[in-house]
Amino acid sequence: MSFSSVGRTRLVRVVAAAAIGGLMLTVSACAGGGGGGGEQGSATEGEVNWWGFTPDLGVGEDYIALFNEEYPDIKVNYKFVPISQYDAALRPALASSSGPDVYDVAPGGGIASITAFGGSAIDMTPVLEDSLGDDWASQIAENGVTGLTTSDGKLAGLPVGSTFGGTLWINQELFDKYSLTPPTTLDEWVEVCDTFRANGVGCLAQGAGQVAFDQDTLQSIADSIEPGLWTKASKGDADWSDPVFVEALEIWKKLFDDEIMVPGALGLQQYPDANNLFQSQQAAMVMMGTWYMQYSTVAGMTAAISAAGVGSPVPFTAISIPFPDVSGNGNPASLYGDPDYGLAVNSRSKATAAATTFATWLTTTTAGQQAVANALNTIPSLKGVEPDWDNVELVNPDVQRPSLQALIAETATVKEPRLSLVSADLQQAIGVAATSVAGGQATPEDAAKTLQETMKRLG
Amino acid sequence: MTAMSTTTRPGAASPPKAGKTSGGGPRRRRRSLPNGLPWILPALIVSVGLLYYSIGYTGYISTLKWDGTSPNPESVGLDNYGLLFTDPIFWTALRNTVLFFLVTFGVQTALGVFCAVLLHSRIRLAVVYRVLIFLPVVLAPAIMAPVFRQIYAAGGQFNDVLGFLGLGFLAQPWLAQSSTALPVLMAITIWQWTGLNFILYFAAMGQIDSEILEAARIDGASNWRILVSIIWPGVRGTTIALAMLSAIGALKTFDIPYLVTLGGPNFATEFLGTFIYRESIPLAHVGYAGAISIMLLLLAIVMAFIFGRRRNSEER
Repeated sequence: MSFSSVGRTRLVRVVAAAAIGGLMLTVSACAGGGGGGGEQGSATEGEVNWWGFTPDLGVGEDYIALFNEEYPDIKVNYKFVPISQYDAALRPALASSSGPDVYDVAPGGGIASITAFGGSAIDMTPVLEDSLGDDWASQIAENGVTGLTTSDGKLAGLPVGSTFGGTLWINQELFDKYSLTPPTTLDEWVEVCDTFRANGVGCLAQGAGQVAFDQDTLQSIADSIEPGLWTKASKGDADWSDPVFVEALEIWKKLFDDEIMVPGALGLQQYPDANNLFQSQQAAMVMMGTWYMQYSTVAGMTAAISAAGVGSPVPFTAISIPFPDVSGNGNPASLYGDPDYGLAVNSRSKATAAATTFATWLTTTTAGQQAVANALNTIPSLKGVEPDWDNVELVNPDVQRPSLQALIAETATVKEPRLSLVSADLQQAIGVAATSVAGGQATPEDAAKTLQETMKRLG
Repeated sequence: MTAMSTTTRPGAASPPKAGKTSGGGPRRRRRSLPNGLPWILPALIVSVGLLYYSIGYTGYISTLKWDGTSPNPESVGLDNYGLLFTDPIFWTALRNTVLFFLVTFGVQTALGVFCAVLLHSRIRLAVVYRVLIFLPVVLAPAIMAPVFRQIYAAGGQFNDVLGFLGLGFLAQPWLAQSSTALPVLMAITIWQWTGLNFILYFAAMGQIDSEILEAARIDGASNWRILVSIIWPGVRGTTIALAMLSAIGALKTFDIPYLVTLGGPNFATEFLGTFIYRESIPLAHVGYAGAISIMLLLLAIVMAFIFGRRRNSEER
């Protein structure tokens, strides 16, 4: 094989130029395009890419179908990203010029953190003013706005709904089968679990390897000892080494030692492991919040049982119960919560107008919020919207409907936040305290002291 | 010599005389270009441009306090490196990496040599065994991870087997304990990669002169003596190459610990790879993660250098 020297030189130059050009194109593509600016595109037509870790794919598609009844010329593509991969997928996407037009954000420093991803969103305050008028603040849940506002005062996402932790969900049919009543104290909890274990059923499914959910259980325990101190410590107004947290960690450890937790809970993730144990009826209880209401429906639970690997899924009656009074102090169980998620519009989007139309429809219109309410995925952020029970097919309406109505009513009184005050660093530090105590590597006193020292060092 | 290298190119000029550096510029440049340059240039530019650019950029990021998306990162010089050396999780990850390398390399080597020796003898269905041993190498960790999570769960099949064998007292939640989670990951890795060691040893043993083996046997050497004194020295180059690959592989370990244990419980299975991910994605400490990445790179280079020197000295 040979070629002339002239031709070879030309080829070298062409190849080099092409390679350098290609490289520059790649680098410039990686570097991303320019920032946002005014609204891009039409507000009534176009294509919108929405990325979210919630709702589930089917629910998201239902929302879009209803949206398209009103806006048939806006095509919304929903990309469901599993919660464990959401941040990893979103970070580079937002840094590029080809990221989603609309994306989920959540309060606090955990998954989809408003702190981490709020900077890429446009300010939605003018959107709320346009849609709901000057008194918009009185029409939507207060925590929805505060939780999705960045430290510099930008409302980075429109709240779809709120979610609350502090409840346990039980398999009512297993409780009935073994003639058990939901536990209200630690001692009762131990007895209930002894019975389940004796019958080959796990008791409390908890993915203790997934820190955010350990935090829920610890907050519930701490609230049982002294309501409100957890929130104070999250704000920096109380020490994490306070005796209340030492006691909370002691009770947390007892949940493992007394085998309330399923065996090997420290090696489990809440999703999918703990969820699957509950859905496949291998465990009778699971530590979940209001987002678990979606599995009260026939469709939601059937899909979840199927996803848990059960061949012929048969839905069962799942209801929420208050977290037991594990300290014996007589404090009523409390809920804590903040916006489940909000919809942010990417400032780099080429279709911000259509994206804003979709986000506004789902979060501020009665039609959109009714769809959210009926999915039982989250408590709608628009006040006055409740599930249309006649159009929600529950597994066991007689038992579940009053239970769900009571739970939804209780959320209106909630004052304590769940995640919005917890940074990613604090969440990891809490996780270290929880797992080191549960694993026996640290005493509750030492773990609480280390937690406080860590938070002090991080400022 | 290839046909290409012996071809006389039309228009090719004779080399210029010494000292004549001007007047024939283009012609001279043409002559100085190596034959294969046009063909490797794109790959060269991409590898140098992207790979080394990425390394350089990571080095730059490691001097920042940055969450990965903020437009205004703060320069902190070498503070991230200072922080790294006082971070107990870094040392845990490093200790896990060293332990992981020593155990997995040791066991994989022993099993690889054992299987290779066994299959060099005349046994029936040797091809089937070869495939069975090598098969795990081609299975993606992402596919196998959920399987192993199930097998080693508290109610998993491994404990069932122990119970079936009358060893139920040994059953435990393997992935939920700091003391057992790392050994489980080692076992999974050994299961997955022993096939590679085996196949390389199998090939290397095929290069040993059969006359030497014959002579040893005639001299009355036992199988063990032949293994220790002839085969093992004969495959030493392969062992060093595998040691280098295993060491760098251990430094880069991410998929199995992330997918099976998420680095837990309580960092018991944290490796540098999972540590980088934890810091850069969930915690958004992208600058700090850059510092860990650079440290990982330096460790990999040092490892490669040590094993490279060892190999060179063996060859001499």
